[in-house]
Amino acid sequence: MKHVVSSIVGAVAAAAILAANIGEPIARAEAQQGHTMAAMTTSSTKASGLRSTLNTLFQEHIYLAAAATGAALGGREAEFKAAAAALDANSVAISKAIGSVYGQGAEDAFLPLWRKHIGMVVDYTVGVATSDKAKQDKAVADLIGYTQDFGAFLQSANPNLPKSVVADLVKHHVVTLKEVIDAQAAKDPAKAYTAVRTAAGHMQMIADPLAEAIVKQFPDKFSS
Amino acid sequence: MDGRQSWQSVAAGAFAGTPVALGLLVTLGAPASTERSVTIQTFQFKPTPIDVPAGTRVSFTNQDDITHTVTSGTPESPDGKFSHRLEGKGASFTVDLTKPGVYPYFCERHRSMRGEIRVK
Repeated sequence: MKHVVSSIVGAVAAAAILAANIGEPIARAEAQQGHTMAAMTTSSTKASGLRSTLNTLFQEHIYLAAAATGAALGGREAEFKAAAAALDANSVAISKAIGSVYGQGAEDAFLPLWRKHIGMVVDYTVGVATSDKAKQDKAVADLIGYTQDFGAFLQSANPNLPKSVVADLVKHHVVTLKEVIDAQAAKDPAKAYTAVRTAAGHMQMIADPLAEAIVKQFPDKFSS
Repeated sequence: MDGRQSWQSVAAGAFAGTPVALGLLVTLGAPASTERSVTIQTFQFKPTPIDVPAGTRVSFTNQDDITHTVTSGTPESPDGKFSHRLEGKGASFTVDLTKPGVYPYFCERHRSMRGEIRVK
């Protein structure tokens, strides 16, 4: 539990640092250009649309992942297949969102990278279901290693997203999703659904800075 | 150790005595007549595919802050012609290709990353 709490604190701090790094120059530029008031007159800006889309997709990722792991651990095969298919459709949608900003090549590169961590989560879930500690440990180690790849991808796409900060945020995503799976395996629905809300809520810490960094990188695309 | 040295050792160790090895060693001993660059960025080889004349020296430079490899063949069927780890941003590797043919390659760590060089 202490580890989880410290991870949460770390992730919050990382998100705050990222938001501060990205937010200050933007706010300063807006103030200098006298656009601050104009930006406040509507919630339907391209930038807010991007942030909303990313938040929706990333939170959907959690709910569908939890549905899939819950069905798998409960032995409900048909439900698992349906949830897994929906989860993959969500993965494709996230990739298309990335592609809409960074192009088809990035979209094609992102999708297998994103799917890779889902495969590792499946491995962890199988390890839990079969009480195979070694499989669980390997899956967790793979997921932790994966956070570096994910951080490197986003940093390469957008220099406003430091690899280490992104990796820490994704690591927290892994930790919060692990809490969901462990609670599902323990047949503790109250704990599981609390963990689902925590995991889904955390995704904002990834979606918001990502949206902010993209807007900072392409201000002309998101000027209205 | 630079990329070509590593490439030489791979070729010598894995293919010594084979027709393929002979071609590669001759290739490595001759100066390349043209050069092309491939960049690894955002988990992609760019540009790909590329068409080059025989004798071209192709360089790969990693612009991602993570290890990638340039490994010949496909993930399903690596052909052992070359494999080099590019340990982080700025790492590079060169290979001289004088023998016409199609050279597919991929990253062992991220197997969806694929490229192709067509030597004419």
